[in-house]
Amino acid sequence: MYPEILDKYLMKVQKPGRYVGGELNSIVKRREDVDISYAFCFPDTYEIGMSHLGMKILYSLVNARDDARCERVFAPDTDMEAIMREHNIPLYALESGEPIRDFDIIGFTMQYELSYTNVLNMLDLAGLPVRSGERAALTPIVIAGGTCVCNSEPMADFFDITLPGDGEEVTNELIDLLKEYKAKGASKRDFLIAAAQIPGVYVPSLYEVEYNDDCTVRSVTPTCGAPEKVIKRNVADLDKMFAPEKFVVPFLETVFDRTTVEIFRGCIRGCRFCQAGFLSRPLREKSPAEVERQCRAICESSGYDEISLCSLSTSDYKGLEELLTNMLPWADENSINVALPSLRIDNFPKELMEKLNTVRRSGLTFAPEAGTQRLRDVINKNIYEKDILSTAAQAFAGGWTAVKLYFMIGLPTETNEDIKGIADLAQAVVDEFYHCENKPKGKSVNVNISLASLVPKPFTPFQWEAQDKPDVLIEKQDYLLSCIRTRKVQLSRHVPWTSFLEGVFARGDRRLGKVIETAWRKGCHFDSWEEHLDREKWMQSFEECGIDPFFYTARVRSVDEVLPWDHMDYGVTKKFLINEYHKAHRGETTPSCREKCSNCGAARLNGGVCNEFRKTVV
Amino acid sequence: MNSVRLWYKKSGLVIYTSHLDMNRCFTRAVRRAGIPLWYTEGFNPHPYITFLLPLPLGQGGEREPIDIRLEKEIPFEEIKSRLNSVLPEGLEIVDVTEAVNKVHLITHARYLIEIGFENDGEAEGFAAGAQSVIDSGILNAQKRSKRGINTVNLCEFVDSFSAVNDGAAVRIDTVLATGTQKNLNAGLLIDALCGEFGAEAEKISILRKEIYMDNKIIFE
Repeated sequence: MYPEILDKYLMKVQKPGRYVGGELNSIVKRREDVDISYAFCFPDTYEIGMSHLGMKILYSLVNARDDARCERVFAPDTDMEAIMREHNIPLYALESGEPIRDFDIIGFTMQYELSYTNVLNMLDLAGLPVRSGERAALTPIVIAGGTCVCNSEPMADFFDITLPGDGEEVTNELIDLLKEYKAKGASKRDFLIAAAQIPGVYVPSLYEVEYNDDCTVRSVTPTCGAPEKVIKRNVADLDKMFAPEKFVVPFLETVFDRTTVEIFRGCIRGCRFCQAGFLSRPLREKSPAEVERQCRAICESSGYDEISLCSLSTSDYKGLEELLTNMLPWADENSINVALPSLRIDNFPKELMEKLNTVRRSGLTFAPEAGTQRLRDVINKNIYEKDILSTAAQAFAGGWTAVKLYFMIGLPTETNEDIKGIADLAQAVVDEFYHCENKPKGKSVNVNISLASLVPKPFTPFQWEAQDKPDVLIEKQDYLLSCIRTRKVQLSRHVPWTSFLEGVFARGDRRLGKVIETAWRKGCHFDSWEEHLDREKWMQSFEECGIDPFFYTARVRSVDEVLPWDHMDYGVTKKFLINEYHKAHRGETTPSCREKCSNCGAARLNGGVCNEFRKTVV
Repeated sequence: MNSVRLWYKKSGLVIYTSHLDMNRCFTRAVRRAGIPLWYTEGFNPHPYITFLLPLPLGQGGEREPIDIRLEKEIPFEEIKSRLNSVLPEGLEIVDVTEAVNKVHLITHARYLIEIGFENDGEAEGFAAGAQSVIDSGILNAQKRSKRGINTVNLCEFVDSFSAVNDGAAVRIDTVLATGTQKNLNAGLLIDALCGEFGAEAEKISILRKEIYMDNKIIFE
């Protein structure tokens, strides 16, 4: 229940349903019945946050405990924020309507760097100091997890704790510890020192960073017994891992509002630009029986008529055929559509495609990522033009007429020829349609190129690379546009300024904390929304703080440099990444984990494909 | 294929759910209840479920009709109990019947409105003022229609109206033109009245009480 004062204003904001709660399967517990109250914050709007699987998992996991409650919090949109600020309504959690500053844990999930200012804004709306050091009390403890915390340094001034890796186990361990420390009335500092002893818990304030004269990092030194290296948490057995059987079903339309079940974590592929692939190694699969059980449970408790099987590369799932064979008849009978995002084009059997065709069909998306074979070798995207074309031909014969192709520009060693290759490949797909004998009659083909730009990320072989400046990327986009000669091919491109800022924070260090705070104080938030990103204010903020943003993006780093995130350990070793970096420049590919173990280092984290492979070599 | 009319009550937090979102919400509830909906047979089959008289955002309803079509016959009582066990809080099936009357026969509806003010004096002034404006027969306001935004006399849509104050609250009992031919959103009437007196309400709650055909015969 929202705070009563909002009665007067709810009908004055867009989509008031975002701010009231009360959705099916939401869990309301009373404060006095639990020891720990956890406010789970998604630093973006309701529609985006409610689409996020991680939040659903941790929401159910915390609420499964009798001694804790978890409530949801989203960033209010600008109209609602104005009302909250004008009338001193503090940021509240949706289930109870209680202010989040009264919760014990405020947890943010950091899925993209451009939500950093939203974190500050939400803390401020809650009536809390944004800086960790200025929040003296033990609670609320402000923690963060998600992809971005592989390099928490730009947010080190604001978060008390970050949790690299899988959150399922460590969340419970942290709640247990806080419960104990809260009961004995301990200080925040004592709690943080103790928390740092839990594997996979990073307490930024316990690490001292020194810089060289050229602004690169000289050293990162742990204090108070905190570990040299924080090793990410890795859940070894996904079948035994906590998984929700109920989703909160929103009334409002959200971005993704459907049954989503993970089929595996990790990836065997090793595409060199892909941070998610390296961060989540080793590949660990859920069994088809368990996936199906979870899909059914969620569909039955929600009434959803769509299932999305979630992973980084669906067709690499060993149990895919078994799963679909068992699940599709049931799905069909119940008018449930099964979506398989992230399919690779080189290993998706025709029979499976036909099976999927029996239920409603969605669009077809391929991700060749680069326009020429040479460049695809550089990025280790091991797919070939003939695979793309033959899969497209199959799809056309199956009745599809629209194909979406994902590409990136700004890749290392890229030339104009590679960019022109994107247009040529799209044209080849168009030609394939007209050569296809069984193509849908009387229909035209539509090839949509979705063009992103590379943002080199930590823990990838490209973490030492320079990122193209925005004006260079715009030139490249324009050049590609000039290479497209048919209206059957359409290009959708991104504004490279968002990629630029993302790049700054992705590989940033602690000196950026003051820039984030300055920009936020100038009014920057919702930076991931192109209409909100205020380039001027950001550039002013960098200038006022005496920081050159291109130091983080446009510079080629030496492999000897101490990187701001070197004290994080995601399993994959730096030595392996350096080797991959050199191989990229030689245009050499690396086989997938299932073809040959390349000794990336993730095997020591235990579980999944590493054990599978080792068994076969032994 | 079986046509069935569901009558639901909408109250509490759910009133902030728009008509389009209600549609999805009920479709899912019917699926959870395991009631076999009849799907249209087009290229993209979808379940047949129609809200006869969508409620505006922010308003509640005591007995609102939805028509659905089922694959097979299920006793009305069973439909009601199965749906009520799966509906989110704030939504309740109060009755399940045959679809007796056609939707275009709806002409009016009765609304119970409660407006909260800061103090008793404000409420008293508003109640008296609102009553005299409606009784005078002229309350011009901007109203959106298919032909764009026009200035119309809202009193032409008001069949009966009584406003009384009760402490700092004003209670209004009114019958307004409602339906596909001629319709007035009760929220618009209240906004116009508040505008007329420069009054600022603390809280407005609007409840559609019952739905009529000609001569105030209850729509069934």
